[in-house]
Amino acid sequence: MGILNLFGGNTLYYPGCLTKFVAKDLGENYKRILDKIGIDFIVLRDLEVCCGNPVLNAGHEKEARELAKKNFKLFKERGVKKIITSCPACFHMFNKNYPQLIKKWDIKVEHITQTIARAIKKGKINTKKLNTEITYHDPCHLGRYEGIYEEPREIIKKAGNLKEMKLARNYSFCCGGGSGVKSNQPNLADSIAKERVNMAKETNAKVLCTSCPMCYLHLKENSGGLEVKEISQLFEDRKEK
Amino acid sequence: MKPLNLTKEIEKNEKTKKEILPIMYSYKERRDKILNEEEKEKFREELRRIKEKAIDGIGELKKRTIRNLEKNGIKVIEAKDSKDANKKIKEIIGKEKLVIKSKSNTINEINLNEALKDKELIETDLGDFIVQIFEGKEIHPVLPSADLTPKEISKKIKEKFGKDVQADPEEIVRFIRGYLREKMYEAKIGITGANVISSDGSIFILENEGNISLTSRIPDKHIILTSFDKIVSSREDALKIVKAGAIFGTGQDYPVYVNIISGPSKTADIQDKLITGAQGAREVYLILLDNKRSKILNSEFKELLYCINCGACLNFCPVYHQIFRRYGSDFPGVKGVIISYFKDSGKNAYKNGAFFCTTCKQCGENCPMKIDLSELIRKLRKQLSDKKIAPDTVIEMVKNVRQYGNPFGKLEEGKVPKKLYCC
Repeated sequence: MGILNLFGGNTLYYPGCLTKFVAKDLGENYKRILDKIGIDFIVLRDLEVCCGNPVLNAGHEKEARELAKKNFKLFKERGVKKIITSCPACFHMFNKNYPQLIKKWDIKVEHITQTIARAIKKGKINTKKLNTEITYHDPCHLGRYEGIYEEPREIIKKAGNLKEMKLARNYSFCCGGGSGVKSNQPNLADSIAKERVNMAKETNAKVLCTSCPMCYLHLKENSGGLEVKEISQLFEDRKEK
Repeated sequence: MKPLNLTKEIEKNEKTKKEILPIMYSYKERRDKILNEEEKEKFREELRRIKEKAIDGIGELKKRTIRNLEKNGIKVIEAKDSKDANKKIKEIIGKEKLVIKSKSNTINEINLNEALKDKELIETDLGDFIVQIFEGKEIHPVLPSADLTPKEISKKIKEKFGKDVQADPEEIVRFIRGYLREKMYEAKIGITGANVISSDGSIFILENEGNISLTSRIPDKHIILTSFDKIVSSREDALKIVKAGAIFGTGQDYPVYVNIISGPSKTADIQDKLITGAQGAREVYLILLDNKRSKILNSEFKELLYCINCGACLNFCPVYHQIFRRYGSDFPGVKGVIISYFKDSGKNAYKNGAFFCTTCKQCGENCPMKIDLSELIRKLRKQLSDKKIAPDTVIEMVKNVRQYGNPFGKLEEGKVPKKLYCC
């Protein structure tokens, strides 16, 4: 893990609340992946706050702005020049909304699939070989909101054979969990997830892989036996080392 | 506010889903054969510009349109709301008992069927005719009866008309054609909607069945009910919207019929004397309904007026796929939710699903006008939140974020939060 570097600028790994507090294993995976790639990064644990995406989607712009200010102040104090996040919603928030909420915002943002895909090309890391068919669910915030379709696919193709669902890329069908629907209308969210899982099953792929902690947790809950993986789980975990 | 219970709604729709979803997928497959991604994007940009130009300058454009339509002999009447529109339509109908009508979202919007319940009102669109005999509500703007099987329809025909019709789509269509022809010849009043109006004085109505051609031409009086947001500057622009309606609505290259109406029928064949009313309608009325559209025009929801009602936003909407018409109001989905906010209240918008949307942006990807409904729903939620209208779960999440800096609240070491309110 990196040491505070105020002159050169720090790279922050920002897992996002869902990864930090719920899908903690994913956060551990990603830290290990970043170490393996050789990226010098810092984490801010409880010092950073929610990115503000859930409050913004619920219509609370004021709260979103306050959170953005808090984070920005902290990031500046810690010399953060670049953020790598594994959460598509946080990524979109930092990349597209923060520049609107904070005039002075000048921090580079990257989704971790971009970081990893680049490292794979440079031969710094590789996935495990699953030798099976994998289908990929494009998270809305990574795909339609940010146009990142290739990098996750490049990673998956290293692990197995990619089989596309009938609604993929910019036409990807939502998992149903986002924008608070999972809490506001849980039955509706589950019903949507089941429809998406059925599309995955239609491809006959053995694994449904995604690159968002919310999509991952929500699809997994509604998977009806289909194996659901988050992209970090395509890499060696500690036990296997 | 309490989150809404949709359990029964979701269970009830299991069958509907099986009937309707494959049709929606087929629309996209057909559309993709007509336009590749690049062509589609280019076309969408062009359509968006047409609508932006029209709606941005609608004040002047509307005046010019009315002037040109009147010059062409069309009587233009403005109606401020549904009640007003129904009153004006009734005045034109007068004592006539039989009225035929075609499918139109604007006609549904003013609930004309209820206003004309003392008349014999006949639906001439096949899907709507079937929905009418079932006394139901259409399920999709371009697929009104997609949830009904031939067997169910045949049974209903027997029940309503005492006729034995085979449970076969072809036989059903043949029976309805015969039944409707008689009504069409008898009717003196035909009511339709419109897809586009060009400011140079023409009204465009697209269709496949031929019922609109007949409804607009056989009766003496043709009443067109529509709204000012359908106006575009030129006939050339209008034809592009017509094409978009076909491609994005049903994945068709072009509709079978495009009715372009620029006045009542006329002739000057006898000694060059101009007679209005030849073989087509003798009188053409255009009713321009406002129904809060002026208010929408001057709000942050203006984009909603670019909508051409093709229904493409619903085809892969994850929420619509589960609960269909439970989502929205007169119009299905997010558009219906926002309209109910303007027409009724924030509480109604809440009930209609202001917090159902997952803001996945699928609608915007499919919309020919690139209307970003996910962004509009966010704006609506902001206005509702200012009025303290939000699910309890949202209020709790916002409180947690304020107090603890995360949406889950106070977290005990080693414990995982139960409610996963995020993104």
